[in-house]
Amino acid sequence: MKKFIVAVIHFYQKWISSSFAPRCKYYPSCSSYAATAIENYGFKGVAMSAWRLMRCNPWSHGGVDYVVIKEKVGTIS
Amino acid sequence: MSNILKPLYFAVSWVIITIHNLLSPIFGANSGVSWSLSIVGLVIIIRVLLIPLFVKQIKSQRALTALQPHMKEIQKKYKDDRQKQSEEMMKLYKEHKTNPLASCFPILAQAPIFFSLFTVLNGIGKNPPVRHGVLTQADVVSAAQAKFFGAPISDTFLGTNVTTVKIVTVLLIAFMSATTFTTQRQLMLKGMPKMDSSNNMMLQQQKIMLYLFPLIFAISGVNFPIGVLIYWSTTNLWTWGQQFYVIKRNPTPGSPAYEELQRKRAHKEGTIENPESGSTETIENPDVKGQRKQPKKKKKK
Repeated sequence: MKKFIVAVIHFYQKWISSSFAPRCKYYPSCSSYAATAIENYGFKGVAMSAWRLMRCNPWSHGGVDYVVIKEKVGTIS
Repeated sequence: MSNILKPLYFAVSWVIITIHNLLSPIFGANSGVSWSLSIVGLVIIIRVLLIPLFVKQIKSQRALTALQPHMKEIQKKYKDDRQKQSEEMMKLYKEHKTNPLASCFPILAQAPIFFSLFTVLNGIGKNPPVRHGVLTQADVVSAAQAKFFGAPISDTFLGTNVTTVKIVTVLLIAFMSATTFTTQRQLMLKGMPKMDSSNNMMLQQQKIMLYLFPLIFAISGVNFPIGVLIYWSTTNLWTWGQQFYVIKRNPTPGSPAYEELQRKRAHKEGTIENPESGSTETIENPDVKGQRKQPKKKKKK
């Protein structure tokens, strides 16, 4: 499941978003943030990505915002 | 899910029925024109509501003029590392509390409305019609007969055998693909500060848009009622028009369209003795501007 979602995100990055002008206010972009978050945190990563997407709004100034990766990631299926 | 969207069903159906009631005396209550224009009206209201956000974005793009030296520096410093380049760029924007990028919000904000319209129209297309929001049974029956160029607005490509519906769907899908393509192409060719992306990449992107986008629109479009496709086409057309206006009148500093406008203005000032007031912002001396422009252009090429 995790792999599937990440694959969808990569497909989106390669084929869909690459043909549009860049629009994300953050670095890394919301989609790469989501891919990293989901790879590392599984389901929690989905929530993190949703929160990131909500923070990327017209009233934010964006900026640099990496996924915080803990040393030990618990057993997440 | 449908409980969350319920207030939106009410809002969407209320807007549509209100516009429909306003238009009925002109075009007739059961007329497809009234119902189609109601959907167009919904788009216009939503896009007008989103204009302040767009203006805000344009303003922060203009604020970039002041940051140009910094941006050039970053571009030079991380010439070979585009990732680092964009990272530093974002840092710079944040420091100066300005960000020219649009974020996904304007698109995401429209998604719930889009799905509400989908549900409302799908209900109309059921046999017997199912009403949503503030629509009465009479409204739903009337809307079920409404036709857009001969195709009932609640019919879908896959849900019908009527040739007219299929033709209208295909035409609308072609229209949506064309508007998306032109909008993005114009933005990338003229509207953005020049990046050192190669021509190859640009061609690649255009190919994707030429082939993949019609495909995506087609796959989703055959499942959507004609009315939803009207919404989608209209909102695309609006995006195109809005962008066309901005690129012509108020382009992003550093973009090809901006340089073109500057050249035009410089030309105007050069030939006419009294330059129009208010057309230029910070530059007092046209001569200085002319000198500043030349090396910039050469460097880019």
